[in-house]
Amino acid sequence: MTGKDIVKITLNLVVVYLIGGLILAVVYARTSPIMFKNAIIEKEAALKKLMPDADKIEKMGDWYIHEKHSEYFVAKKGDNIIGYIVQSFGKGYSSYIDTLIAVDNDFRVQRINILGHAETPGLGDEIEADNFINQFKGKDMEHLKVLKTDTTEYIQAISGATISSRAVAEDAVKNGVDFLIKAIKERGAKHGADKQS
Amino acid sequence: MAQTNRVSYLDLIKNGIFKENTIFKLALSLCPSIAVTNNLRNGVLMGIAVLFVQVMVNTTISSMRNFIHPRIRLPIFMLIISGWVTVTDMTMAAFAREAYKQMGLYIQLIVAFASILARAEMFASKNKIAPSMFDGIGMGLGFLFALTIISFFRELLGKGSLWGFPIINAKPLLIMILPAGGFFAVGILMGFFNWMSMRKETKNH
Repeated sequence: MTGKDIVKITLNLVVVYLIGGLILAVVYARTSPIMFKNAIIEKEAALKKLMPDADKIEKMGDWYIHEKHSEYFVAKKGDNIIGYIVQSFGKGYSSYIDTLIAVDNDFRVQRINILGHAETPGLGDEIEADNFINQFKGKDMEHLKVLKTDTTEYIQAISGATISSRAVAEDAVKNGVDFLIKAIKERGAKHGADKQS
Repeated sequence: MAQTNRVSYLDLIKNGIFKENTIFKLALSLCPSIAVTNNLRNGVLMGIAVLFVQVMVNTTISSMRNFIHPRIRLPIFMLIISGWVTVTDMTMAAFAREAYKQMGLYIQLIVAFASILARAEMFASKNKIAPSMFDGIGMGLGFLFALTIISFFRELLGKGSLWGFPIINAKPLLIMILPAGGFFAVGILMGFFNWMSMRKETKNH
């Protein structure tokens, strides 16, 4: 290898890195605002879809499950509270399943929505399917249980994806609702105490 | 490969689709062809992503072939490949969010596709820009064709649907959407295409 080779190799790498970096910068500048906007729109739409009756959804606070940051919200129609929405995670087969759960004032599940996961494509990702998600409507804490047999009283597992089904029903949703009940009661107690004093 | 100047562009494309089909003939890039093909939409999108990367990489490398120092050609090829893959990755993340959520990881893995590096080394670095581009189109189309046909059968048999729309109201062969079913599908189709070309050869003789 001569000095000329070294110069040429250096020049090669510098030019390729520079051009590559430039192209990536341009593409990133074009696509990142779209991605960012999409993420916000997606979240808002997800909240709205969970509580179609609400005209205002306000953030109440943050909480942590599986050491992941989650949020919870109150849904209002006019001045009346019509329910709550809580974000929660369930430990699935190959990922943490990001879930939004809407409950009414009695903490019965109204709707759930799977925001993100990396479960087995074709099997575990059936947790996003309507006929799984719709099972959650009207379920309270006691009935959030996964069975492998035919059931309407409890949650019926997806065939071939029991772990993912459990992760949603018994981990994400159940813990989310459980947290919400405690959080709202605590808040209510504090609120009541404030009023009394 | 030096004689390619005499070969027409159409032959280059045909070569990639049939004679040197990445999956069915060369048996390269089998990992993604099993991982993302349990539904038709992902298979097709992955095929398009690879087609784009292959064409861009071939064209770029071919246009720089006299400039690249032979000693560092592989690092440079990898840089070019990963650059174009990142472009594809970011574009898909922005414009095809739903699909990207399911196959984002595999898009990034295109960097490590043997087929793309092989075409860069074997063809693009030795040929002019236009033939390299058509070689890329051929190889990419061949890959797209293979993924489409694999994912077509896997989704239809495993889920009873196509492109997410239900076709049969049952899951005839659940195993087809599992990794094991991917091996079955690739193996059977590979056997079929080889049998076809063997029959053609014996007829010609």
